[in-house]
Amino acid sequence: MVDFSRVQKELQECNRDINVSGISVNPKSDNLTNLIGTIPGPIGTPYEGGTFKIDINLPDGYPFEPPKMKFATKVWHPNISSQSGAICLDILKDQWSPALTLKTALLSIQALLSAPEPDDPQDAVVAQQYLKDYQTFASTARYWTESFAKTSSLGVEEKVQKLVEMGFPEGLVRSTLEVVGGDENMALEKLCSG
Amino acid sequence: MVYDSIANASIPTAVSNPKEIGKKKRVNRTAKLKQCKLDARREQWLSQVKNKGFKEENKGDVRAKMPASDMHASNEGDRSLVKLVINPGGEENDGLMNHYSDWESPSNSPTSHTSSLGSNRSVANFTGSSSRSSSSSSGGCYSESMTEEDDGDDGCLDDWEAIADALAADDIKNNHNPNPDSTTASSELEPVETIKEDQEDSHAQVNHRAWRPDDAYRPQGLPNLLKQNSFPMNSDRHYKNVGFAFAPSTCPICCEDLDLTDTSFLPCPCGYRLCLFCHKRILEDNGRCPGCRKLYEQHAEQGIAASKLGRSHSMIPRR
Repeated sequence: MVDFSRVQKELQECNRDINVSGISVNPKSDNLTNLIGTIPGPIGTPYEGGTFKIDINLPDGYPFEPPKMKFATKVWHPNISSQSGAICLDILKDQWSPALTLKTALLSIQALLSAPEPDDPQDAVVAQQYLKDYQTFASTARYWTESFAKTSSLGVEEKVQKLVEMGFPEGLVRSTLEVVGGDENMALEKLCSG
Repeated sequence: MVYDSIANASIPTAVSNPKEIGKKKRVNRTAKLKQCKLDARREQWLSQVKNKGFKEENKGDVRAKMPASDMHASNEGDRSLVKLVINPGGEENDGLMNHYSDWESPSNSPTSHTSSLGSNRSVANFTGSSSRSSSSSSGGCYSESMTEEDDGDDGCLDDWEAIADALAADDIKNNHNPNPDSTTASSELEPVETIKEDQEDSHAQVNHRAWRPDDAYRPQGLPNLLKQNSFPMNSDRHYKNVGFAFAPSTCPICCEDLDLTDTSFLPCPCGYRLCLFCHKRILEDNGRCPGCRKLYEQHAEQGIAASKLGRSHSMIPRR
């Protein structure tokens, strides 16, 4: 059974200093075992300016077992699968300690973004590129950040205006944006399909 | 008192070979820890019940003026006596149950106020039975404190001091403290002593090592408890003596309050503290300290630790 009193406390503490750390954790559903964490891309890296969402799943043994974390936002990084978002990080596996928290784990992931370990890769293709052609790697990573991690950079009004300019009725655009949670790319997809 | 009972319980099981003795010791230690926790919980719980009991007692005072309700009350007192006699278990849990009914019956029956003969007898009887059935003497003295206080006058104070003295002497014996009036102890106690002198000057001198207001085993029925408790105290001593009432912090793992046993529990030389429950859970898991990731060592002085370590050593190669 997950220790919900601890999870509750962690959420409170993490969201208290959200302005300092930029890291937030929010429940995805009512039962507190599915959470969404967000971390800002570290400054001075190809991930700068992006906001990365991380899917958190708490196993029954939490905090004695590590939380299951994977990127919900697509990232181009040697230690993060470009396909599944799986993270290769020791503290999420054998080096987990119950003294760690969701916030410290997310901080470690943020640190991993700024310090890739290509010698212990999760995504071999990205790791090869990182080692052989860093410039291409950096530009690809930057492009992915622009494309996938910056959807919330535009204000709602700008998104609405952009989609209305494409020829969709404003009311429909607003409701669709609301449904997909403000992601303009997903809204566009939905508008096109339906 | 608690230690006594445990020691007694373990004596009858004759142990022949030395390995067995070691094992027994470990088991004993964990049993002691458990016992300590149980005891602390019970004290806490008893004090809660007592507060409630006082309120109900006041209601009982009003009711007692009507003869009909008086009859009813004494009947209830008798019934509680029957309950107690039926259930004279020596087990800890049974003891707890007995205490419960001890507390309930005086609050239900304002018998000692109305001083009907039958009900008085019942009160005397069930205090006797509770001390017989429960292994710890503190429980017995609690119930007595209640009944004595029902009389309401200071005439019973002498008895009280005598009981307090006896219990204090018992404590000293248990702690193997040959010199109760050592300089440090007396200086520590000084503020409390002066308070006592003001309030009951005749007894304070005689009873030099009486109950401290923050003593965990102090009978709750002793007079002026609240007044003494409200005095500002040295916070360090406070935590040491009544950890269960004023928990200094919470377990970083489970976020539960650390109790008296937990606060004095230091399983790893790195100083990382956690509650006994989380510690046990970790030992069942990988046996590594959450603070420093090192295996809990033998010098953790814990029976559980030592018994589990053998296994975890073989499973997790040290780097």
